[in-house]
Amino acid sequence: MRAVRTALLLAVLFLILFPIAWMALTAFKRPVDLLGLSLFFTPTLDNFRTIFSHPWNIGRTLWNSTVVAALTVLIAIPAATLAAYSFSRFEMRFKTGLFFLILATQFVPAVVVVLPFYLLFRDLGLLDTHWALVIVNLAIVTPFAVWMLKGFLDAVPAESEEAALVDGATRLRVIIDIVVPMVWPGVVVTTVFCFVLTWNEFLFALILTRDDAVTLPVGITRFRTERGDLWELIAAAGILISIPMFFLSSIIQRHFVTGMTGGAVK
Amino acid sequence: MAAIDLHDLTKAWGNFTAVKRQSLAIRDGEFMVLLGPSGCGKTTTMRMIAGLEEPTSGDILIGGQRVNDLAPRERDIAMVFQSYGLYPHMTVADNIGYPMKLRGMGRAEREAAVRAAADKVELGAFLHRKPRELSGGQRQRVALARAIIRRPRAFLMDEPLSNLDAKLRVSTRAEIKHLQHELGVTTVYVTHDQIEAMTLAHRVAVMQGGEIRQLGTPEDIYDQPADLFVAGFIGSPAMNLLAGEIQDGRFTAPGGIAVAVRVAHRGAAVLGIRPEDLRVLPPGQGDVAAAIYTVELTGEATLVTADVGGARLSARADRGFRAGIGSAIGLALDTSRLSIFDPGTTLRIKDAP
Amino acid sequence: MRDRTLKYLLLVPAAVLVLGTTLWPLAVSFTTSFRDWRLTRSVTPGPFIGFEHYITAATDDPEFLNALTVTATFVLIDVTLTLVCALGLALLLRRAGVLQSLTRAVLILPFAVSPALVGISFRFMFNAEMGVFTWLAGAVFPPLQGVVWLGDRSAALLVLVFSDAWRWVPYMTLVVLGGLAALPREPEEAARMDGAREWQVLRDVTLPALLPVLAIVGILKTVFALKMFDQVVTLTGGGPGSSTVTLAYLVYSIAFRWYDMGYASAVAWILTAMLMGLAVWYTRLVLRKPDA
Repeated sequence: MRAVRTALLLAVLFLILFPIAWMALTAFKRPVDLLGLSLFFTPTLDNFRTIFSHPWNIGRTLWNSTVVAALTVLIAIPAATLAAYSFSRFEMRFKTGLFFLILATQFVPAVVVVLPFYLLFRDLGLLDTHWALVIVNLAIVTPFAVWMLKGFLDAVPAESEEAALVDGATRLRVIIDIVVPMVWPGVVVTTVFCFVLTWNEFLFALILTRDDAVTLPVGITRFRTERGDLWELIAAAGILISIPMFFLSSIIQRHFVTGMTGGAVK
Repeated sequence: MAAIDLHDLTKAWGNFTAVKRQSLAIRDGEFMVLLGPSGCGKTTTMRMIAGLEEPTSGDILIGGQRVNDLAPRERDIAMVFQSYGLYPHMTVADNIGYPMKLRGMGRAEREAAVRAAADKVELGAFLHRKPRELSGGQRQRVALARAIIRRPRAFLMDEPLSNLDAKLRVSTRAEIKHLQHELGVTTVYVTHDQIEAMTLAHRVAVMQGGEIRQLGTPEDIYDQPADLFVAGFIGSPAMNLLAGEIQDGRFTAPGGIAVAVRVAHRGAAVLGIRPEDLRVLPPGQGDVAAAIYTVELTGEATLVTADVGGARLSARADRGFRAGIGSAIGLALDTSRLSIFDPGTTLRIKDAP
Repeated sequence: MRDRTLKYLLLVPAAVLVLGTTLWPLAVSFTTSFRDWRLTRSVTPGPFIGFEHYITAATDDPEFLNALTVTATFVLIDVTLTLVCALGLALLLRRAGVLQSLTRAVLILPFAVSPALVGISFRFMFNAEMGVFTWLAGAVFPPLQGVVWLGDRSAALLVLVFSDAWRWVPYMTLVVLGGLAALPREPEEAARMDGAREWQVLRDVTLPALLPVLAIVGILKTVFALKMFDQVVTLTGGGPGSSTVTLAYLVYSIAFRWYDMGYASAVAWILTAMLMGLAVWYTRLVLRKPDA
């Protein structure tokens, strides 16, 4: 039994890590080394130099991804925090209905959201801009953030807030002085989760950007040229996209689960 | 400092009524304990006084002023919570000083006030710690200091000792009593622990099912419980309650119990007598013959449970008392300390004049 | 300000965002789905034509029928595979051990990779000439030598499933592990004391208690599988032929290759309707727990 388990786990580890490792290796290969599937080759940094220089200019794409993801969470998280607090602390009419609405929005296919926005942005001349991407990404991120933050707020006991109310604070003061500091780790986790979600978003960027505002996931598809697929460059760019996300998701690993399942599983 | 008056106070959530048309006049400077089992409405009553819960109907007056429409911060009261309600991200000093900061007190003046309040609860050495670095007892002191720094019109305490271990509970209880006496601030204290109620209160309101069943001094509720609920709830071990009937001034129950009573009532009745009012005697003596069901040594006394005609009676015997299970004894009732209840209304029947 | 007013005011910013970014486009594409509107002919919305697009989809569009079949096949294989693997892996990882903690630590990595990148990487690794998986499959299992994975209709769909499972199975394993960790130990221990063997404990005690979590995993995976898009673009491009064209990809093609906004909106709404059905079911599951 023990041997079977060990073998299975080793196979799982291999399946998870091998594709990542292979892309990492490829990123340091010269094109001639690609065909041989060799593990032994002379590593080179040329691919990284190439993607940062003309005509690829991946630096620009990197910047676009950063700006779009940062603006999206900057708008979504404060709004979501207030809403989540209201949901968590107060009874209200239609609460279940509002919940359903928030929960159901993550079931809406992105492709149905993007059609009207494509037409609107085309008319407004906003196609291929950061703001266009930020606005549609808010559609994905806001409900997630509300749902996640509500979970974190539910876990914070109300007593400290009530103490502050009795001590003489107004409700808004309580939110700023007491609630936000207490739920801060949850805010950070939610922000990171939403940042990762936006960073990896593909469909919106594919449809709404062309040159100026292209983000990394779409950017890597540009290495598939008429001259063929430049795999070593794709791999180099892929490593560039993934490293920060590996880092971010590892620090909040436990909470990643809470995010997607809306707190149903903790 | 101020009196607190509740008039016909009611709180309902949908079909569930937590507090039913409750009226209570708490005197200025009084230590009032709301005592009852969980779910009796005592915490809800306190939270309505604090303004954390909106009454469904009825009025709350503090110092003669109707405060129903005031926010908690406008009521000038301080509250100590069961789990302390501290601000985990602030130091002890900031926790204690927060109410004064909200009132716009300057830094220097505030530091002095914090120090004075902290010294009063012996926390002076911990001002720069965070709550998580303190023990449970120390946290509770922070909550107390935060309450007394303000000299509010009233203190509200919601089971403040229930998260402390047994030993600490006793010493903190004494400190709370001393502090309240020293400051003279009207205090409402919620607990399910009858010992706390007995030791702390000027008056106790015993609550059940959203209603006050008895309001009185600790002596009143212990010696003259107003109904069967209070009789069974107060005292440990509980008051013995025997069902029987009264004919011609004598209470009789199965097992040969027959005692003279001083009530005018006739017919079915419940007799209540506390364990310490039953004396354990050798067989053949006393009012009733009984057999020992079990004997438990509690330290300061021996608790005897005896079988009398199928009913079990607890009696508190001398701590030197020893007897085997099943052996015969006699029991004597202190007839000056009997309580008689009407089984229909559950109310106490008063002695005839 | 009284809480009575404040509690609604606090909702306003988020409500504006959700209304503006989700409900508005939903409403617009709903009305558009009843219009004849091709961008090649007109930049402004065309006339209303009733249910014509929906009727076309249902009766007279082999492309739609194909996408429906592809999506259904994909969902079926993908969801089953994910559920079985995630459950099995979670049970394996439940016990303590060096290998177990190592595996648990890397479970989050695939989910952090952009789906688009997953697709393009798998395209590389299943490349007929220099694909490392192509070589590996042939080496481990000789009959698979020489299979052109992305050139074969069924094989391409399987590679698509594989790429999606690679990203989702580890994540869903984390979800199941979370569910397992939340289970009280006593019932299992009691069953063992009562004389149950390990597989009986699993069948009679653990799995029934885990069912709500598995239901959530199943529904969520179904939702994401139904919306499958990114990897279709970067891994198969819908091909070979149209053997991997999912509904979401079909909407994209209709809208941005043929510029038929009306019909694209109608197909998009058919997909949305299916997902809303799942949303109702899911919400019931999640909101069933009493609100504290």
